[in-house]
Amino acid sequence: MTMNLDRRNFLGLAGLGIGAAALAACGGPSTGGSAASSAPADIDFSGVKPAGSFDFWTSHPGQSQAVEQSIIEKFQAKFPDIKVNLVTAGANYEEIAQKFQTSQAAKSALPGLVVLSDVWWFRYYTNGNIIPLDGLVKQLDIKIDDFQKSLVADYQYANKQWALPYGRSTPLFYYNKDHFKAAGLPDRAPKTWQEFAEWAPKLQASSGAKYAYMYPALAGYAGWTLQNMLWGWGGSWSNGWNLNCDSTESVTALQWAQDSIYKDKWAGVSSKNAADDFSAGIASTTISSTGDLLGVLKSAKFNVGVGFLPGGPKAETNVCPTGGAGLGIPSGVSKEVQLAAATFLKFMTEPENTAAFSAATGYMPSRVSADMTAVLAKTPQIKTAMDQLKVTRVQDNARVFLPGADQEMAKSAAKILTQQGDVKATMTDLKATLDGIYTKDVKPKLKS
Amino acid sequence: MTRQLTGSPAAPAKTVPSAQRRGRWSGRTRRDFFVFLALALPNLALIAVFTYLPLINNMYYSTLDWTLGSASATVVGLDNYVSFFTSSDAPHVLGTTLIFTVVTVGGSMVLGLLVALALNAKVRGTTFARSAVFAPYVLSGVGVGLVWLFIFDPGYGVLSWLLRGIGQQSPQWINDPQLALVMVIIVYIWKNLGYCAVVYLAGLQGLPKDVMEAASLDGANGFRRFMSMSVPLLSPTTFFLLITTMISSLQAFDLIRIMTPLGNGTNTLIYEAYLQAFGAYNRAGYSATISVVLFAILLIITVLQLRFVERKVHYS
Repeated sequence: MTMNLDRRNFLGLAGLGIGAAALAACGGPSTGGSAASSAPADIDFSGVKPAGSFDFWTSHPGQSQAVEQSIIEKFQAKFPDIKVNLVTAGANYEEIAQKFQTSQAAKSALPGLVVLSDVWWFRYYTNGNIIPLDGLVKQLDIKIDDFQKSLVADYQYANKQWALPYGRSTPLFYYNKDHFKAAGLPDRAPKTWQEFAEWAPKLQASSGAKYAYMYPALAGYAGWTLQNMLWGWGGSWSNGWNLNCDSTESVTALQWAQDSIYKDKWAGVSSKNAADDFSAGIASTTISSTGDLLGVLKSAKFNVGVGFLPGGPKAETNVCPTGGAGLGIPSGVSKEVQLAAATFLKFMTEPENTAAFSAATGYMPSRVSADMTAVLAKTPQIKTAMDQLKVTRVQDNARVFLPGADQEMAKSAAKILTQQGDVKATMTDLKATLDGIYTKDVKPKLKS
Repeated sequence: MTRQLTGSPAAPAKTVPSAQRRGRWSGRTRRDFFVFLALALPNLALIAVFTYLPLINNMYYSTLDWTLGSASATVVGLDNYVSFFTSSDAPHVLGTTLIFTVVTVGGSMVLGLLVALALNAKVRGTTFARSAVFAPYVLSGVGVGLVWLFIFDPGYGVLSWLLRGIGQQSPQWINDPQLALVMVIIVYIWKNLGYCAVVYLAGLQGLPKDVMEAASLDGANGFRRFMSMSVPLLSPTTFFLLITTMISSLQAFDLIRIMTPLGNGTNTLIYEAYLQAFGAYNRAGYSATISVVLFAILLIITVLQLRFVERKVHYS
């Protein structure tokens, strides 16, 4: 046969080959069925033997790498047949989520156990990325009743338990005791923001700090901490699934916040990390996570006080949200790996280990029976966070269940607090955006 | 006209007897062709798998309503394109991309040329100066971003400290979206200036000395020689830099990611594509759409540059 291959034919053939290869690999997600999540089934682990090893993906919340490693070593001494590979899968909850989601898309390299934050676990549930833990809780006899009720309830949906609490936190009010003393103020956190507004000018006049109060960085979970003000004024991001961030109460709360920066000029907005700004003495007070507690105590060169979050004109108590991370088990790994991971999950959340984790980070112990005597003797400020847990409030659905809502809230907060944008108009726009996310991404996947 | 792979451009296929054609493929040429295939195919396969395949896949994904992490997606045709171009974010993203690209390309090239002129002077210390100017270009973008973020920090940054020294308050470089864009542009130009400077320096040193001397003898002063001789003669260098820096600017990611994680005012097309898929939203299909838009813009710019700008380039 004559071979008559000119350049054009060759290029044509090459193009055809590339096209065929491309079409063959156009796999990606399945486009055949509905994306709605189906009813979760109980997984039967009877007869399953735990895998010899699995990866534990963590962002080391609260600089917990050393304590995580030490708990793993204790685990392996007790369970020598299960090797836990501690993997730094990101520097924060968002980075770990990014890696987890990408691995889901690639359908490879998934961990056995993963840290999941308050705003991510529900998305993993709707995508079918994590398994319900109920079967494993029963099989491994995990004492679910001994967990802090409100913390464990955060991961319940459709009558299933989707994760267990791990590095759980609340925001705390941090104040510079030396500044308070110099201003002649009582050694305590303010009971309400109105009370603090009276204190702020005195603090500014006597402390030498640039600001009396520093709002948390807007890139750092503004939607989380601002719930405190919204709730204090009787507003919220949402009430159930009713998006009411543009209500009179919510707008009044955020207008007050804006005035504290532009009108009264005693507050500023952190550029990167409010806890660092506070530790550096730039502000006399701030609100930050309990997970920042040990870091602040270590780096601040002044006496640090902590207290409950201030209330507002409509609500003086129950104005503090819970937050932080839990641990979940991916659905895309074998039952053997899931069982091994659950065995470690049980160990990791046992009372002595949650106490050790709490001592090393400042996060709250997730178990009621955790003996915190030694921890509290060393770091009594943790007691404030533990006491505040009794007056916390479940976060607004809009923040924790709507994909990307936290970022939209941060953008809106930035418009109001750093660009002096119109509060009502900004909140109206935010409501429309959140409504779009709810209608498109969440409503179709909710259980009726 | 069909040109044979044998490299015989002058011989039209019709005039070559078939026996002769067979002869060409039966001898050394056939071996050459297989050697060519052996050398080229691995590269072609790699380019196909790692460049064109993702490109085609990405176009396919842009027609899906797909949440990253979800195993299923819905085919929505061109809905993602409609959503992007009708969204309130589109003008902002396209505008930010335009400003970032024009200012960084223009800034890097103009400043790079000025630095190259300074480095071209016959004075002591130019070797050290050349190394110093080029050094930021080879530094990690992540490291550069972190260091500059500290410099710009309004609370305890070096810049804030300097401004306080003269009784001024630091602007809110990070929180203010407009200043955040300015901040990222400054750092990007600083990092990439050395590349333009070194390429321009090579161009300046390659300028024909006799022509420059002739102009000098004819009484042209330094500025006139620069504008009327150096700039036109540097046009191939300028054209090369224009294409490479523009593509590089449109693909800028690391500095933006490190300095403004939420894309506060710095949402260029590529960063918006990243945020949509891998940020808080997980809209993989929508993100693919933005990537296709970026690809189309890059393609159009490159074609326009090749068609129109190259005509004005003096190659000799």
